[in-house]
Amino acid sequence: MFRNNYDNDSVTFSPQGRIFQVEYAQEAVKQGSVVVGLVSKTHVVLTALKRNAEELSSYQKKVVGVDDHLGVALAGLASDARVLSNFMKQQSLASKLSYGRPIPIERIVNMIGDRAQTSTQHYGKRPYGVGLLVAGVDDLGPHLFEFSPSGMTQEMLACAIGARSQMARTYLERHLDKFADCSRDELIKHGLLALKESLAQDKELTVDNTSLAVIGLAEKDGRKKLEKFKLFDGQDVGPLLEANVETSGGGEGDAMETDS
Amino acid sequence: MNHYPQAWGRPRDDVYGAYDHSYLQSAQPKTHTQSPAVTGTSVLGVKFKDGVVIAADNLASYGSLARFTDVKRIRTFPPNTVVGFGGDVSDMQYLDRLLQSLDIRENYLSSTDHVLNAKNLHTYLSKIMYRRRSDFNPLWNMLLVAGLDDEDKPFLASADLLGTTFSSPTLATGFGAHLAQPLLRRLMPNDEASVKDVTQEQAINAVKECMKVLFYRDARSMDKYSIAVITKDGVDLKEDEKLENQSWAFADQIRGYGTQVN
Amino acid sequence: MTSIGTGYDLSNSVFSPDGRNFQVEYAVKAVENGGTCIGIRTKHGVVLACEKIISSKLLKPGCNKRISTIDRNAGIVTSGLLPDGRHLTTRGRDEASSWRQTYKAPIPMSALASRLGGYVQAYTLYSSVRPFGVTAILGGWDSEAELGVDGQVGNGPAAGAGGKVDDSSTKRGGPGLYMIEPSGLYWGYYGAATGKGRQAAKGELEKLDLAAPNCSLTLKDAVLEAARIIYVAHEDSKDKEFELEMTWISALDGPTKGRHEPVPKELLEEAEKHAKKSLEPEDEDEDEDEDDMEE
Repeated sequence: MFRNNYDNDSVTFSPQGRIFQVEYAQEAVKQGSVVVGLVSKTHVVLTALKRNAEELSSYQKKVVGVDDHLGVALAGLASDARVLSNFMKQQSLASKLSYGRPIPIERIVNMIGDRAQTSTQHYGKRPYGVGLLVAGVDDLGPHLFEFSPSGMTQEMLACAIGARSQMARTYLERHLDKFADCSRDELIKHGLLALKESLAQDKELTVDNTSLAVIGLAEKDGRKKLEKFKLFDGQDVGPLLEANVETSGGGEGDAMETDS
Repeated sequence: MNHYPQAWGRPRDDVYGAYDHSYLQSAQPKTHTQSPAVTGTSVLGVKFKDGVVIAADNLASYGSLARFTDVKRIRTFPPNTVVGFGGDVSDMQYLDRLLQSLDIRENYLSSTDHVLNAKNLHTYLSKIMYRRRSDFNPLWNMLLVAGLDDEDKPFLASADLLGTTFSSPTLATGFGAHLAQPLLRRLMPNDEASVKDVTQEQAINAVKECMKVLFYRDARSMDKYSIAVITKDGVDLKEDEKLENQSWAFADQIRGYGTQVN
Repeated sequence: MTSIGTGYDLSNSVFSPDGRNFQVEYAVKAVENGGTCIGIRTKHGVVLACEKIISSKLLKPGCNKRISTIDRNAGIVTSGLLPDGRHLTTRGRDEASSWRQTYKAPIPMSALASRLGGYVQAYTLYSSVRPFGVTAILGGWDSEAELGVDGQVGNGPAAGAGGKVDDSSTKRGGPGLYMIEPSGLYWGYYGAATGKGRQAAKGELEKLDLAAPNCSLTLKDAVLEAARIIYVAHEDSKDKEFELEMTWISALDGPTKGRHEPVPKELLEEAEKHAKKSLEPEDEDEDEDEDDMEE
């Protein structure tokens, strides 16, 4: 039987120049439940579908606040994400301490990218098994980055990763042109609708399984002021779901079942 | 002849007596710099409604010797910040290199423009100063950071060799803290609230006048100086200015030293 | 690749019986699929250009830059595994900054290429690491001015005792272009190309006759040519959209004043227009929305 000899570690190239271990790690991202992110000129929104291990267990954490101006949503190994988000918290604090400045988003994303690259080039390490959507606001405005286990980081207008995320991506691509000028509430709506696209047939968005986070720039006295990272979880998402999801399918609550 | 190799080539004990090893040890603990060597004197800074003026002369003294007469103590940090250094010149050069490498990192670490403003830079520099004093190895400087803050308002603050920070609409280091600061404060009767009433020209004139007073009275100063004006439009730095309209008439009245002992 | 499967290609730092290090050769394969990158060296400066394949509509246009700056006077572009490219870039920055620490001056291009070449080579020596899956093109300008050391605050006398010695006859500085391969091998180049479209690009570069002592290419010409070459090299994979990214560096009296900078927007647009136009005669169908014509 054919056996792939080139996939045992991340320090071996295949004859085609691929690194299988890294590609496998990217598969781990697809095992995680879906998360969606999107940006407008003023806001960035993350939405996530939470899973619970069994009926009576709690739901997993999908969105982590890193700092007032920065948060991540994860798909894949949650413990790897914790390592990365803790690192980001440290770096963000260090920037505030030494310069009194919130760390620029691209900078901190590059830092975790570089860290992840290291573990794809040295024996005895394994790539991180998690993909992240990093959302944040800095002096250039709101940003959304995708981070993947290869160490690749890319700035996106909108993105979805995790299980069945293709459907959410299709939604995002279809509405891509509208996002830039969306208001905060419209952007939240698109975030939730994109998330809904990726639901399995018999599932729907509920207060239990939906997480949502917003960061933005609010106009105040003619000056741009940071609208701090805010996570909507549990009962807090209720009003957002009611306002955006149930009514979107033409008013009926069961419309979502027939969607996607 | 001694048989032990470790004694070969050394003064013989029977001729010179046993070697006194205490010479090798110092009773003192390890020390760092206890005093500056080549120094720059005062730096002056004044806010005005659209920005900040900062000035320092071009002299580096070695004790009372006017050792270097072409030393630029006003350093710029892109895009819009200026740091003025008083105190040890070699420590200033160290800090300048630190700022250069910070500038390179800032500019090139990300593909887009992120800037450190004067406030960020002052935070950074004061942490450096405090860290070094906590290591008992201070950088022997007192510095003024001038520029604009997050909201594009004039920013002026100081940090010294202990890591102490202080901010005020007018600031002066060294001898200037005693001589020039009271004169500069006349511009700002209501402290921060007066800044909006001070024009760029007023601020420049006040600084130039004070530079003159300092040259009259401070024996570690000289009449060539650098002056920078920072506004939203950028930094205007002149490094080769000369004090104008000096009047030494008052010198006649001075008694008590030199040729006129009483 | 006759020896595939004989076991000598499973570990880095192992020679096969005929003297090859397969893992390095496989790393080269990773580069061969990357976006095309080129560098052109003229008397007046260096241009770096890169074909950035747009893999998704969701990517933010104009972001995710591929060409980076290492120090004020040096740029780098890599083709192959992007995260490896970032690793190498970071190393380049560290080298440049440690050079400044030691010598109080910017790193010369030749030294930078040597340091980075050595670093890449080290990753072919041990079985505990894998080689870099990138080929890097370094472009820069060594300053022709007499440089004060970093942190210099004043000058001595301009002439006379203790003053300057006239050394205007000494030639200093100039352009530098180097390409580093996954093996750590590097050469200096007049025109360098790597990535998917390298063969076509090399052919075009050779036509420019860059090595000739009387080569009359100006820096602006080089920018236009670089853009055109990227477009020519893209022909083979023109089903994919791409963004053209270009940086340049000139002498102190040139447009970038000895600094490595992105090519200004207007010039970039002019170069793109020029490049698209130059492709037209060869292919009637070609015009502004070339990608749509494919269907």
